[in-house]
Amino acid sequence: MFTKNIHSRMKIAVLCFAFLFLVIIGKVFYIQVIDYKKINGYAENLWSRNLPIKADRGIIYDRNGVILADNVTTTSLVVIPNQIKDKKKVAVDLAKILNVSEDAMYKHISKKTSIERVHPEGRRLSYEIADKIKNLNYEGVYLVKESKRNYPGDTYLSHTLGYVGIDNQGLSGLELMYDDCLTGEDGAIKYFSDAKGNKLKLNEVYEQPQKGMNITLTINDEIQKAVEKELDNAVTKYNPDRVIALVMNPNNGEILAMSSRPNFSPANYQKYTVEEINRNLPIWATYEPGSTFKIITLSAALEEGKVDLHKDKYHDSGSIRVENATLHCWKHGGHGSETFMQVVENSCNPGFVVLGQRLGKNTLFDYIDKFGFGAKTGVDLNGEASGIIFSRDKVGPVEQATTAFGQGVSVTPIQQVTAVSAAINGGILYKPYIVKSINEPETNTVVKQNNKTMVRRVVSEKTSKEVREALESVVSNGTGRTAYIDGYRVGGKTGTAQKVSNGRYLYNNYILSFIGFLPADKPEVVVYFAIDNPKGVQQFGGVIAGPPAKTILEASITALNIEKPTGGTEKKYNYLDKKYITVSNVVGMDVNKAKETLKDFEVKVDGNGKTITYQSPEAGSRILEGSKVRVYTG
Amino acid sequence: MKKNTFFFIMSITLISLFGLMMVYSASYVWADYKFADPYKYLKNQGLFLILGFVLMYFISKIDYRVYLKHSNKIFLICFILLILVLIFGTERNGSKSWFGIGSFGVQPSEFMKLALAILIAKILSFNKLTDKLVFKILILAVLVFGLIMLQPDFGTGVIILMGTVGLLFAAGANLKFFGKLGIMGIAAFAVLIASAPYRIKRILSFLNPWEDPLGSGFQIIQSLYAIGPGGLLGFGLGNSRQKHFYLPEPQTDFIFSIISEEFGFLGILLLAILFTIIIVCGVNIALKSKDLFGKFLAFGIIFELAFQTILNLMVVVGLIPVTGVTLPFLSYGGSSLMITLMSMGIILNISKHQK
Repeated sequence: MFTKNIHSRMKIAVLCFAFLFLVIIGKVFYIQVIDYKKINGYAENLWSRNLPIKADRGIIYDRNGVILADNVTTTSLVVIPNQIKDKKKVAVDLAKILNVSEDAMYKHISKKTSIERVHPEGRRLSYEIADKIKNLNYEGVYLVKESKRNYPGDTYLSHTLGYVGIDNQGLSGLELMYDDCLTGEDGAIKYFSDAKGNKLKLNEVYEQPQKGMNITLTINDEIQKAVEKELDNAVTKYNPDRVIALVMNPNNGEILAMSSRPNFSPANYQKYTVEEINRNLPIWATYEPGSTFKIITLSAALEEGKVDLHKDKYHDSGSIRVENATLHCWKHGGHGSETFMQVVENSCNPGFVVLGQRLGKNTLFDYIDKFGFGAKTGVDLNGEASGIIFSRDKVGPVEQATTAFGQGVSVTPIQQVTAVSAAINGGILYKPYIVKSINEPETNTVVKQNNKTMVRRVVSEKTSKEVREALESVVSNGTGRTAYIDGYRVGGKTGTAQKVSNGRYLYNNYILSFIGFLPADKPEVVVYFAIDNPKGVQQFGGVIAGPPAKTILEASITALNIEKPTGGTEKKYNYLDKKYITVSNVVGMDVNKAKETLKDFEVKVDGNGKTITYQSPEAGSRILEGSKVRVYTG
Repeated sequence: MKKNTFFFIMSITLISLFGLMMVYSASYVWADYKFADPYKYLKNQGLFLILGFVLMYFISKIDYRVYLKHSNKIFLICFILLILVLIFGTERNGSKSWFGIGSFGVQPSEFMKLALAILIAKILSFNKLTDKLVFKILILAVLVFGLIMLQPDFGTGVIILMGTVGLLFAAGANLKFFGKLGIMGIAAFAVLIASAPYRIKRILSFLNPWEDPLGSGFQIIQSLYAIGPGGLLGFGLGNSRQKHFYLPEPQTDFIFSIISEEFGFLGILLLAILFTIIIVCGVNIALKSKDLFGKFLAFGIIFELAFQTILNLMVVVGLIPVTGVTLPFLSYGGSSLMITLMSMGIILNISKHQK
């Protein structure tokens, strides 16, 4: 009985132990199976050392796939201090190759860290140097691939593209704004290490870096190139304070080109001031627009039925009295009696004052608001300004009058281009944008696609058509003649605005601008060009800003494949202008008859025969009056 | 030979050889680093294993009733040794519990485990178990415990205390009286903890080792990092990563972690089965013993072994605070392995005198 009791108690003890064993096994199961992921993750972190591999940043393309920003692969030096046995020797050898002091190198090599990136001496090494280091074959000395941003066009589109820092982080422009998209995920060569930093004989794990997403812009490389070239020309010719150009598709708000001077080289961003880099002038600069703003007054007056351009007349005496002020026309002595079409062609200030008065304060300012002035356009770029418009309670008759011809308001180039686009595209204001799409790099799947965004209808189709005609006639008959492109229908408006500093107009310091579009009947492109304070020239927008705008328009014709239209207003020639004349066919004629036929040109005859067998340029070409035409006889 | 004894011997042999292999696998990195000899611990442990088996064989030939006669003397010698070790012992890992002989060491407390089991088994087999006797035996155990705590060696002390309690329980001690003593024990335990604040930290660290990952939580975190990644099948023999300087002295108290890492959950299951066989067969021998002394002695030895195993495993898997107890048969440690195998020899002899 007694022994039985002992036996049962002993058995109970065994059962207790068995139970505890089960508890322990249960805990092991929990650690190894249920908690596996967490603990294994921690442990892998503990064992593994990463040799980082920089991911490629996403590529930025123009609308046709031209690369605007990509990457070049470079090599960087990385050391793992724990794996380096003879630190002195390694430091001496590396210092010799990299041409740095031994002390500095020793500091890197003996640093108490698991992985040391030799920065900046060991970054972006040339192939020869990398090869020399590789040949040393030292344990604990590694070369890892690094990706470096590359801008093929250097200063091209620099404000908009922005730049990246040494660690490939976007620091301005699109690089900053879309940094999250463009930045890929760095990869690594993972090796396992013991607690003392020695490499374990386990397979290295290669974690492939994930490329950043690609961005396609609405920019057209061909037009952008023309823009950059014209900006450079303007700088060379006039030594201005600033030059700004902006090209847009008026029918959807896509920015086709934009740039400004001064600009910067993203590869050498350290050499520039923060202002030079961050001020993207086409969206940042605010200034008095001058006469280009008259397009707004004109559109409003037409929409409200306040004027009939062909029938209504106005007599410009050279100035107009508003309240106690006398507002002068830019032309001394005035334009005399003119139709309102001529008021537009001549950019006659008193005429526009009258249009403003006919509209009345509220209606005029309503249109200014509707065209988007005084507020950011919402373009997908950072650093946009909103400009300044008079607040209505401060607008008296004088302010109303000057606003009507573009003085006293402060606007950005992009506001002007979007507003003018609305005036000529059939009356719809679109939100401008520059990022066309964001694509996944491997599969090219579209992650984000931007489409045209209508903001509001501002004027009717009919008004828009009338505005187009009026602006076309500015180019063919008026102040915009310098932008005339033979065979194409071009519309446009010049602007000459005196600059303001501390509330006073500066003497002989102007911003000269031209805004032009084509084809005038069905616009496909709007070009804005502005030169701030050109030196040593006649201060008129048409003379200075017209020609570069014309060159950009011409480039757009080729770039956008715009066909020659029929009809349109013929350019009116003044004594300074040269005419374009169609060359007639003279092949088969005798020499005298040919000379007679080509009387508008300088004819050069080659050969001794009597009849013409060949001519250059061939019949049907339009060339400048007085140009040389070569004919061959015999 | 009886079936039960056969399984008992087979399990002991298997687990000891497996232990030797694991001591090598767990230790060669540290051994190479410290002594420039990766086989250092393997050689020592191998030597003690052979010695242990030889001793086990001879002891299994010695009639266990010899200890009955000499139990007082054995106890007294061990008791004196425990006092002497406090004066002449060498300190290792903060405990003065060793008599060093060259690189070998002998722990008197290990011998005391056996000596006390013999003494109590004798007392229990000759006296009617009254509450008074229970109290006296417990006083004796607490005295030994106190002596060991002076080293200090909390783990061994607790094993001795619990081994006594286990024997008293088996002998039919009054459970109510037992319960009262238990409460007193807990109170004493609390006082003990309060007297040494470092123990509080240790106790807290097992609940959330990540609170102090480089201090009190370090060992348990490193242990979990070995057990967790092992998964179902482990990394395979020799492929532990934690033994590469992450887990300090992986061949001793935390060898179970390395086993989990290299053999995974299945390995652990097999190991638990081997331990269970040893315990069940050992208690079977106690049950079949002709006399009470044999019963109590065999049970006491197995109880201590089982308790030590559980204590070690619970620490390693993070169920209780770190106590510093080795895993029988598996952890590196010459005198510990030798004593364990010697006590197995005693049980084998008891099994020869069955009904």
